[in-house]
Amino acid sequence: MKRILPLAAIEVFVWFVLLLITFVISKEAIEISFGTATLVERIATQTVRLLVSATLILVWLLAWKKVADLYLSRMLFHHGTNA
Amino acid sequence: MLDNNWAINLGITFTVTFVATFAATPIVANAMRSRGITGVDIHKKSKTKVPEMCGLAVLIGLAIGTIVYCLTMPLAVREATAFIGTVLIAGAIGIIDDLHPLGARTKPLLTALACVPILVLGTYVPYPDIPFYGTVRLTIVYPILIPIAIAVTSNSINMMDVMNGSMPGTVAIITFAMLGILLWASELRTASLASGLLAAMLAFFYFNRFPSRVFGGDTGSLSVGAALGALAILGRIEAVTVVALIPHIMNSFYGLSSVRGLRERREILQRPTELLDNGLLRASNQKGAPVTLARLILAAGPLGEKDVVRAMMILTAVSSLLGVFTYWIMVSVK
Repeated sequence: MKRILPLAAIEVFVWFVLLLITFVISKEAIEISFGTATLVERIATQTVRLLVSATLILVWLLAWKKVADLYLSRMLFHHGTNA
Repeated sequence: MLDNNWAINLGITFTVTFVATFAATPIVANAMRSRGITGVDIHKKSKTKVPEMCGLAVLIGLAIGTIVYCLTMPLAVREATAFIGTVLIAGAIGIIDDLHPLGARTKPLLTALACVPILVLGTYVPYPDIPFYGTVRLTIVYPILIPIAIAVTSNSINMMDVMNGSMPGTVAIITFAMLGILLWASELRTASLASGLLAAMLAFFYFNRFPSRVFGGDTGSLSVGAALGALAILGRIEAVTVVALIPHIMNSFYGLSSVRGLRERREILQRPTELLDNGLLRASNQKGAPVTLARLILAAGPLGEKDVVRAMMILTAVSSLLGVFTYWIMVSVK
């Protein structure tokens, strides 16, 4: 089924960006530290790590959505089913 | 019996769950039909009425399979209880939702509560493995992420249960990949539970495939989604599961973002697909229609329902392979 290929390509793209983002998280976000001596420091460290990671994941989701929206609008246009 | 008999154990769990689900499905279907609990098969011209809530058979199959698993492997009772507890709570929420539809915000909130057995029994390890990094210490944050994970998996699977066989077919593929990874990771106890879920999905797929003789309803989809989430947590394969679930996340994320937020599917008036006079489906050309996986598949032209589901299953197979590849990367980098 030829129509699956572009969608499978989107999956591979999404997967690749996800790996790229986890690479960035592993090299940058995980290194963030405000100390581990007290509970407050531990909570602050883990919260900031989580927020930075969540932001990167949001970027991943937006990139994913952009690619899919582009695919959908192009396909609907080419197949003459656009409103 | 101890861990060294895991292959026999896995086989017993698989067989018992398969037989129990296969036997329970027609019984549950007849019970639902006699009570008038049916749904219309909207993707067919004939608008056939099909028994709803038959996901109850999956719950019965998984419960019986898990009990037998506990009897043959008493050491794994804690993990098994956490797994089946999560599945049953999500199933109970599904039953309520099938009988009295819940609000768009209430459903994810309630499904998040299904994780209580995992939290109470402490069957999680707050050190998830992340590609390129290895083990991450998340002792405080991880327990907060568990309810989110269960809510995301259960509702993503729920949103994929839109066509004949789409839910059990795609979940069976993901579970097969997860089973392979769990065996590779020597997480044998969780692997046995995964074999039960795989068996339940294969048995249910037989009845739910095109043309459907039963519908799982939210009872089936929410419990199966929670089961996937529980397996990911118990087996410590969180990252791999996210990759394997790409088509499902794609489907729910696009759907939610295109209708701007959490909406119950009954609230969305515009359908993502349209049924043509020749029985084929085509992508909706309405601007406000949700962007779902089915709509993306159909954007290239009309197709029959069976072919759309086949496309969904192929895309799930691709993502599951990527999941296996991700695990290979994680093992290699370690």
